[in-house]
Amino acid sequence: MSTDVALQALTLTLGAFRLQSLNLTVSRGQILVILGPNGSGKSVTLEIIAGFHRPDSGRVLIGGRDVTALAAEQRNVGYVVQNFGLFPHLTVAQNIAIARRTDRKIIETGKALSVPRDDKGLLAYFDVAHLAHRWPEDLSPGEKQRVALARVLASEPDLFLFDEPFAALDTQTRDQLRGDLLSFLRTLSIPAIFVTHDHADAMTLADRIAVLREGAVVQDGPAADIFGRPVSSFVAGFLGVENILKAQVIETTDTLTVLAIDDRMLRASGPMVAAAGDPVCLAIRAEHVTIGPPQAEQPPSFAVNRFEGLVTSVRSLNPLVTVEVDCGFPLKGYLLAPQAHAMNIGAGKLVSVEIAADAVHVMAN
Amino acid sequence: MNLAIRLALGTCGILVSASMAVFGAQAAEPTVLTIFAAGTLAVPFKEVSAIFEKQNPNVTVQAQFGGSVMMAKKITDLHQDADLLAVADYNVIPKYMFGHPPHAAWYAGFARNAITFVYTDKSKYAGEINAQNWYKILARKGVEIGRSNPDTDPSGYQTVQMLSLAEKFYGDAGLEQRVLANAPLTNMRDTETSLISALQLGQIDYLAIYRSDALQHHLKFIDLPGKINLSDPAQAAYYQQGIVHTKNGDLAGKPIVYAVTMVNGSTNAGVAEKYVALLLGPQGQAVMKNNGFGEFNPAFAVHVEAMPAGLKKLVEPWPAS
Amino acid sequence: MLQRPAKRWDRRAPSQSRGLYLLCWFLGTILVAFLVVPLIALALSQSGQSLASVARMGDVRDAIALSLEGAFLSAAIAALMGVPLAYGLARTTFPGKSVVAALVDLPLAVPHTVAGIALLMVLGRQGVLGAPLQALVGLKFWGTLAGIVAAMLFVSAPYTVNAARMGFEAVDPRLEKIARTLGLGPWRTFARITLPLARRSIMTGVTLTYARSISEFGAVVILAYYPMTAPVKIYELFLRFGLDQAAGASVLLLAVSLALFLILRTLSRGTPRRENR
Repeated sequence: MSTDVALQALTLTLGAFRLQSLNLTVSRGQILVILGPNGSGKSVTLEIIAGFHRPDSGRVLIGGRDVTALAAEQRNVGYVVQNFGLFPHLTVAQNIAIARRTDRKIIETGKALSVPRDDKGLLAYFDVAHLAHRWPEDLSPGEKQRVALARVLASEPDLFLFDEPFAALDTQTRDQLRGDLLSFLRTLSIPAIFVTHDHADAMTLADRIAVLREGAVVQDGPAADIFGRPVSSFVAGFLGVENILKAQVIETTDTLTVLAIDDRMLRASGPMVAAAGDPVCLAIRAEHVTIGPPQAEQPPSFAVNRFEGLVTSVRSLNPLVTVEVDCGFPLKGYLLAPQAHAMNIGAGKLVSVEIAADAVHVMAN
Repeated sequence: MNLAIRLALGTCGILVSASMAVFGAQAAEPTVLTIFAAGTLAVPFKEVSAIFEKQNPNVTVQAQFGGSVMMAKKITDLHQDADLLAVADYNVIPKYMFGHPPHAAWYAGFARNAITFVYTDKSKYAGEINAQNWYKILARKGVEIGRSNPDTDPSGYQTVQMLSLAEKFYGDAGLEQRVLANAPLTNMRDTETSLISALQLGQIDYLAIYRSDALQHHLKFIDLPGKINLSDPAQAAYYQQGIVHTKNGDLAGKPIVYAVTMVNGSTNAGVAEKYVALLLGPQGQAVMKNNGFGEFNPAFAVHVEAMPAGLKKLVEPWPAS
Repeated sequence: MLQRPAKRWDRRAPSQSRGLYLLCWFLGTILVAFLVVPLIALALSQSGQSLASVARMGDVRDAIALSLEGAFLSAAIAALMGVPLAYGLARTTFPGKSVVAALVDLPLAVPHTVAGIALLMVLGRQGVLGAPLQALVGLKFWGTLAGIVAAMLFVSAPYTVNAARMGFEAVDPRLEKIARTLGLGPWRTFARITLPLARRSIMTGVTLTYARSISEFGAVVILAYYPMTAPVKIYELFLRFGLDQAAGASVLLLAVSLALFLILRTLSRGTPRRENR
């Protein structure tokens, strides 16, 4: 796939903050999520792409054009911010009308593009025609998002930029809007960069993820890779991995790595990243931690780790129940509510915990 | 009691004690002698007041200076308290202070002055002008002359009276009009002292002002003939030929005599009397002379019988004109 | 404390502090009374007849008209030049910015006579700006409307700049950025996004400038006695006649000013909701 958006070796120093040689690409039809904590430089990166900061070095390419020296209004980017940034002194219709039209066509990839470009068409397409004369402050978040998308689409961008638009919303609304946004972006083939500190956003939206920390990309690749194989405990934590444990490598074989956490032994399959004797970190997603009643037999194979432990806490978040077990080290797992009920799970209960070897992800730090 | 009531009471308490402090302080202070005086008396009066305060240690003199008419009206219209009033034109006292009810009963002339024109090195034709050719130079095109408002200020109408006399003195018909043409409304202010900065900045070339101001501000000035500069009470009859048309009617020229009076109803009459005695006496007269004013020895007074006994012997009745 | 039954007038919410509320009312009333009672006393001192006779005086009407005209020009210039300055102060940083901001406030602290003399020094016949302006364009500041406007502008411009600056600072810069990405250039963004959102603050500042210009005396009178603005005229009336006449002209000026401000306020309100909070 041709690269439509590229950030090449971008650096910038802003006061105490330094962006260090950022390199990212986004292709047509792709959604890149830049994930990172506050202060890592996510918003600054977007502002560089949009044209509000001049990088100290490096290039920004959009739609094949080098836009590094261009002003924002010449770059054809669409910018959506927290709370959607509708102009409060204009009605919905005026918000959409104020976007400047160009003669260019929106980039298409063989899909029939049925998104209209005129004001009336846009209002209808996003189902906000009945709100045309309303003021932004009267709209629900969902309505605001639709108006913001209509407005941004009206300016016919080559790239969408989203700067934590859902940050101030409650979970249910976020879920709803994320879903709407995803369908919207899938309809077009315009590349999008979405910036957030919430891994749930990344999980839903991302084709690719770049994890940013203190101005540097620490991991960058397809979403599945990032989620499945975080490169450090920082990234793992940020992705919401529930179990991050320090361990030591005992020995490595062709297929397995044997690790020890205090006096408990664990086996992990997957690529070797360390040698015997090295301290490492393990990332285990809670959904791979199977909790069940204590079992007498040996586990079926070396590929499964089994422990016994006492339940330390049970927290209910319908439909899931989060269970923390002390197996010599703390482990979190999920049960579905009916399972938890059937097992009569409660603090102090003895349970057995199973983790497949390939669910144990070893990281250097 | 809840907080709000406590706060409100506290605020009242602060206000009350503050006012008590102010009033209390006033009761404990030494006697204050309040003088309202013409602006041109500022410098000499400060000197006289310093001498007075030395002689009377428990007295503080507080003087305000401004236009003579303004000062009189502060007493008559604004009902401000003053013990003494001193004006640049003795006519101001009978005109404003002898009304119904009367705010003063007498006045004494204590200094003389002369109208003159002041100028600087920057002024046009500064090198050429003298006591003989002044009226020709001041009439030249491009010369800017400043003066005060004849409708409201003594030096304003005295200037025009002087020009009117000059016309007769030099036998030069139209002199007054020609000079006044260079002193249009835009060059006028309500007191002449407001124009001194304009003179120093070069906005105007010549300023009609008192001789005492010229000397006090170290400005060059023209020695106008005594027959026209309103400085000599002996020329009073001649001066009457100088007429100025103002919004208050036609005013005939009179000698420039500074007059002082004690304001009726003042609570410090005794102290005020002493101050007047100092002013009319040799020390006060010396101060006036040193500051460029003409002497007045002895002082003339109107309604001598209404004056306090201690002052009567210092004055002579004003000669009838 | 015993629970008191809620009275009809006691409809406040449980958390609304009566004490704090009463204190605000108490102190506020004192201040408003302090500001308003002298003006009411002034107004009541005049009968309809005396007001009518003052209104008949042509020179009084001219003086008021001149004050309004000069104040209008002063406010207009303050808006034209002060609004861009305010935008720069709100949006940019540069070395010495705090000095510039302090300098903008300086005229408020300068005694009026001093301000007038300083202006005369620069704009007068021999002034560094006044001399060339007079020679080249025939523009004079001594005894002219230009001088009156200069004096008014000097003492009242800070109000426009400060209010506009606060108005611009309240506009979310991200809205401006969004407008740029939507294809609006910097000028269009300023005109269609920034300015409308800051409009209310700017209008408040301009109104303050206008009001302050009308009342300026000390600086104006150094530059121009004739033609007479209203404050100068009122002072002259006091000297020539007395308190009554001066009070009459003052009440007339106050009435005209009040009417104007009400009109300005109504105009600046515009349609509701068309502003940011």
